[in-house]
Amino acid sequence: MPDLDDHQRATERGAREAAGAGGHAAPRWPAGGRPTQTPPPSRRSVLRVAAGAGAAGIAATTLGGMLAPASAATHPDTSAGTGATAFDEGANDVVLHVRDAAAGEIDVFRGTTQIRLRDRDLAARVVRASR
Amino acid sequence: MSSHREAPEIAKDPVADSTDVYAFVSPDRPRTVTLIANYIPLQGPAGGPNFYEFGEDVRYAIHIDTQGHGEANITYQFDFKIELADPKTFLYNTGPITSLTSANWNRKQTYSVTRVDSKGRHALGGGLLSPPCNIGPLSTPDYQAALGKPAIHTLSDGSRVFAGQRAEGFYVDLGSIFDLGNLRPFQNLNVFGGGLSAAPGVNATKFLNVHSIALQVPISRVTAAGRPVIGVWTTASRQRVSLRSSDGGADLRTGPFQQVSRLGNPLVNEVLIPLGKKDFWNTQHPVHDKQFTQYVAHPELAGLLPVLYPGVFPNLAALDKAKTARADLEAILLTGIPKGIVPGFTNFTGPTPADMLRLNTSIPPTTSNPNILGLLGGDAAGFPNGRRVFDDVVSVELRAIAGLTFKLVDASFTPDAAAGELTDGLTPADLGTPYLSRFPYLGVPYDGYHHPAH
Repeated sequence: MPDLDDHQRATERGAREAAGAGGHAAPRWPAGGRPTQTPPPSRRSVLRVAAGAGAAGIAATTLGGMLAPASAATHPDTSAGTGATAFDEGANDVVLHVRDAAAGEIDVFRGTTQIRLRDRDLAARVVRASR
Repeated sequence: MSSHREAPEIAKDPVADSTDVYAFVSPDRPRTVTLIANYIPLQGPAGGPNFYEFGEDVRYAIHIDTQGHGEANITYQFDFKIELADPKTFLYNTGPITSLTSANWNRKQTYSVTRVDSKGRHALGGGLLSPPCNIGPLSTPDYQAALGKPAIHTLSDGSRVFAGQRAEGFYVDLGSIFDLGNLRPFQNLNVFGGGLSAAPGVNATKFLNVHSIALQVPISRVTAAGRPVIGVWTTASRQRVSLRSSDGGADLRTGPFQQVSRLGNPLVNEVLIPLGKKDFWNTQHPVHDKQFTQYVAHPELAGLLPVLYPGVFPNLAALDKAKTARADLEAILLTGIPKGIVPGFTNFTGPTPADMLRLNTSIPPTTSNPNILGLLGGDAAGFPNGRRVFDDVVSVELRAIAGLTFKLVDASFTPDAAAGELTDGLTPADLGTPYLSRFPYLGVPYDGYHHPAH
């Protein structure tokens, strides 16, 4: 039977696969350490992008050609087509989190979705733009 | 408390803080189950001018596992919205609120209910009104008849829902429990007691309110064929990204939902999970609870009781010293109780350890003289077979942890006499207002004019 938490795990799975981490089932708590979770976006590394607007155009226009190849996109709360929810209202805003500029890892948040990009050039450009 | 402020991070986020979950066959509608998830703990009824409300930025959910695998097969989602009629006044209400459509009610809250199951997402209702908070006799006269009862809505699938303020129905002597386990009926025996004399318990949640999400659903809608036992838990989730507005506009929240709070059995994260892992526990799904099994099998509190009460729990002390895994607690909290342990009863869901409230829906409700000790008191319709609003889960779990239930899995074990007497000294008689006999069962919220009591 399909699982209702598919959306959550699909997102986690997508993130792991994009990161090349394989299909381990659950985040674990290593002895003496912290849970292996995606760290929260830091204020410094987050760039809010209003799609198609002003300085954000760097990322916005680039994203248009990059979302599809990433293939890690999930649409957890709207995929069944039952209409918009209160949480769709910010769907025109896109937030980038440069997780690891050297590796080119960028998380892209929009609406209720998150995808993981790997693009060193884009990461470098976003970091430069943020300074 | 059951799960009020039970972990460091969620204690700072009360709007998303689940406090109690209840699941029981409805006593007045035995073909249905009632599922209740409470949030926003310890509300002072006089909490104006900004009275309590559900979070618009929180996705609340009640999950049901019908297959015994620790994952949700059915989820009910609840999304809330605020409707502010007049932003130019500081008043919550500009006159008496005599109905849910009253123009005097300035800040209303509506919500939608969505069921997610194997066939997809199903919108069951939208624009449903929550009742206002109970402010006082001038602002919210005739609260239950005019506001509480009309806030019970029938959904498109025939289920009923209520989401709004209720009187706290959970009773606990918090002050004694967290003062080094100084249980008030027995404080004369506490190692630190220093000559204190025994005294009655004090209900720390008396005269406080919570916000409840209550759902009453036909049993056939939440069970799989031939599987009457369901696992129930609640979660609250926030979107991963939040950006505060710098121009006075709305904050931006985006991204997928990240679970920040969960609750199945009472007191698990509160009392069993260690402080350094409580926040992590809140982010996890029940299917991954194997990683927490050690805290149930070897509860810290079981080791503390003999220390706090010297000479009172010698058999428990021996059990603890032998590092005996507590198969009884694992059954009660993580797998359900298999057949053959308690005659005529089971709520076993399989070997997957998962913290869920397990309800055997084939057991009819006890409508005459239910026992607040549930299964321990010989009443199979009560905790840990689900949980009714009045069940004394504190005493039940204290007694179980003290070893009373270990004899069920090891007939050679003799529980200490005190294990069968443990309590925090409270019963529903210590509430400030009674439960309701009908949905949503939790009492009418205390109003701010009369409470705190003076």
